[in-house]
Amino acid sequence: MIENKVVAMLLAGGQGSRLKALTRKVAKPAVSFGGKYRIIDFALSNATNSGINDIGILTQYKPYLLNTHIGIGTAWDFDRNNGGLRVLPPFTSEDGGRWYTGTANAIFENIDYLDELNPNYVLILSGDHIYKMDYRKLLKAHQEKGADVTLAVMEVPWEEASRFGIVNVDKDNKIVEFDEKPKKPKNNMASMGIYIFSWKELRKYLVMDNKNKESENDFGKNVLPLMLSEGKKMYAWSFDGYWKDVGTVRSYWEANMDLLDPNNTLNIYDAGWRIFTRSKNLPPHYLGRSSVVKNSLINEGCLVMGEVTNSILFSEVEIEKGAKVNNSVILSNCIIKAGAEVNNAVLVEGVTIKEGEKIGEQGDGNIYLITDKGFTVE
Amino acid sequence: MENCLGIIIGNGDKNFGALCKNRPVFMLPFGGRYRLIDFTLSNMVNHGIKTVAVYTGDKVRSTMDHLGNGRPWDLNRRFNGLFIFPPANGNELAPRLGDIAEFYSTMQFFEESREENVLLINPSYLGTVNLDEAYKHFNSTDADITILYKKQVDPWGEYINCDKIYLNNDGSVSAAGLNLATEKEFNMYIGMLIIKKKAFLDIIKSSMEKGDANYLKHAIMINKDKYNINSFEFKGHIENIRHTKAFYDANMNLLNRKIAHELFFDRGTVFTKSKDEPSTLYTDTSVVKNSLVANGCIIEGNVENSIIFRGVNVAKGAIIKNSILMQKSEVKDNAIVVNTIMDKYSIIGANVRIAGSSVMPYVVEKNQEIKEG
Repeated sequence: MIENKVVAMLLAGGQGSRLKALTRKVAKPAVSFGGKYRIIDFALSNATNSGINDIGILTQYKPYLLNTHIGIGTAWDFDRNNGGLRVLPPFTSEDGGRWYTGTANAIFENIDYLDELNPNYVLILSGDHIYKMDYRKLLKAHQEKGADVTLAVMEVPWEEASRFGIVNVDKDNKIVEFDEKPKKPKNNMASMGIYIFSWKELRKYLVMDNKNKESENDFGKNVLPLMLSEGKKMYAWSFDGYWKDVGTVRSYWEANMDLLDPNNTLNIYDAGWRIFTRSKNLPPHYLGRSSVVKNSLINEGCLVMGEVTNSILFSEVEIEKGAKVNNSVILSNCIIKAGAEVNNAVLVEGVTIKEGEKIGEQGDGNIYLITDKGFTVE
Repeated sequence: MENCLGIIIGNGDKNFGALCKNRPVFMLPFGGRYRLIDFTLSNMVNHGIKTVAVYTGDKVRSTMDHLGNGRPWDLNRRFNGLFIFPPANGNELAPRLGDIAEFYSTMQFFEESREENVLLINPSYLGTVNLDEAYKHFNSTDADITILYKKQVDPWGEYINCDKIYLNNDGSVSAAGLNLATEKEFNMYIGMLIIKKKAFLDIIKSSMEKGDANYLKHAIMINKDKYNINSFEFKGHIENIRHTKAFYDANMNLLNRKIAHELFFDRGTVFTKSKDEPSTLYTDTSVVKNSLVANGCIIEGNVENSIIFRGVNVAKGAIIKNSILMQKSEVKDNAIVVNTIMDKYSIIGANVRIAGSSVMPYVVEKNQEIKEG
């Protein structure tokens, strides 16, 4: 029998409005990333690689593409007879229909799913983050401390600390104070939005939180502070790998560019911790006689006749002869026509850059987000 | 192709040396991320065939590993789907050679399937045949057997020992044998035929009983007067992968965009087992021209006119020219590899220089490592 049963609940309903046109058609977790992935692939692959058997995916905002991408979880080996993956959208009941009002409410609404599985632990994940983490290490830390809840935390730059939930801990890593998005942070240890709860405790507090009409039903704002105020054992577990919550178009561009940095700490080539994704079954890419490719990632199905430098080409991108692409992220099915030049840009899926057109200047410091309807500058 | 079973059976691997030491011909890696059999399976599935049987031959392991339960081709079905038939050893059929005994040993599969016709393909012939048209011809002429062929021009005798068929004016088949290169153009059998299941089973039973043929193609000719046997001409590009050189050339032909596009896109998606490799990384030092490169590679050196499979590493200063580098092979710093086929997991050490000739590529065996002397 499986002892220490963990069920992961993956929050994948976020809009990510600051990503602008990138989330025009899809939820933030379904935004393309790193040449062939979608952001949610990282959390899903972490779960697979950490040996998790049951995972619930909480969807809400524009779920079609996300649902198609995930399917029954085949790519992550979650298509099981026993357990596996469940997509959990908001639903109607005898009390009427309602959207998930907050992160904690989304879990509360699916209490039947968790009751049926009856796990020892519930792992709360976000589909918005790019990172590789062995959740077994988090579980181990949680068990060793005999905690009620353990938060994955990491050091963030001081200037960004007020964007996060900041934890203050004692010598034993026990959390003594939890500040959600403080104006004046006391330190820079930020909660990553990754929590492991003992299910019995979590269940109790979810019910309690849901009864409170004042609550926003959010883990960071409501549930965690409530548990702390009642003296529950809350611990921090430090993570020191690569982790990024891409909030803006610029940070999205930067996170992609990180993959081209020879010193980057997110090794996507590690065969021991594969990032899985739905396969598109495309042929290899072709680099023509006139192609020049430097420091770039190129995916299957591309056709490159021009110059590509410091850039990431997703699938089936075509770079015609004489076209130049620098410092750019080109999503699937884009075409850069002959003689066109693209600098410092993010092109959403299916954009064609006309012959001779020029976007940006090398080193102009801007990031251009290009769609078929126009562009915005950051 | 409603009402039709797909049968995949390969041919001998004597002409492929080390490349087929542990794999049948149809399991040869091809086109950067595929095996030859992927094109046949995908072609069948894309034409609506729902039941496919694969006769593996003796070297079963790589086939089993690659095909699994048939999921990449959507052949993992509760009804129909993929059937894998390893050789029937250790019974009364064991001493018999040829595919007749193989088919006979799986008689039950044919009898229990509901389909009334059989499409038989040898994956060594690679071409984007429009099977719908061939099937229409088969049905509209009420043929018992339709044999697919191509008018092959062969002034230099390169197609010696290939299967040759003779046709009457009405397109019916009068004879079949080996091409001895006595003519500048001949009708080459392209390893595909459609046959009514009843005729197929009758021919197999008759050959078993009379012992007059070991191979289906002979048995069909022995019984040709009993059946309506016609032909269907394929006019497109076909690769007849009959020896190492033909295999090498067929890969190189994919650098022709028209041929590559036909094979990769014109008859629907080509499915294969996914390896979950990330995109390929080209560093500042890479120089790549006219090459097909699959995912998961790290390219730091020079690559020209080559086919690079998944997960290959080409180190700084290395030069790859006119070569095929199969999955997970590796070329270290400043090594030079020309006119070579590197099989899976092979390694060329730093500063080593190897080259085949343009008429016969050099083959580095699977797992082989060549170090500086």
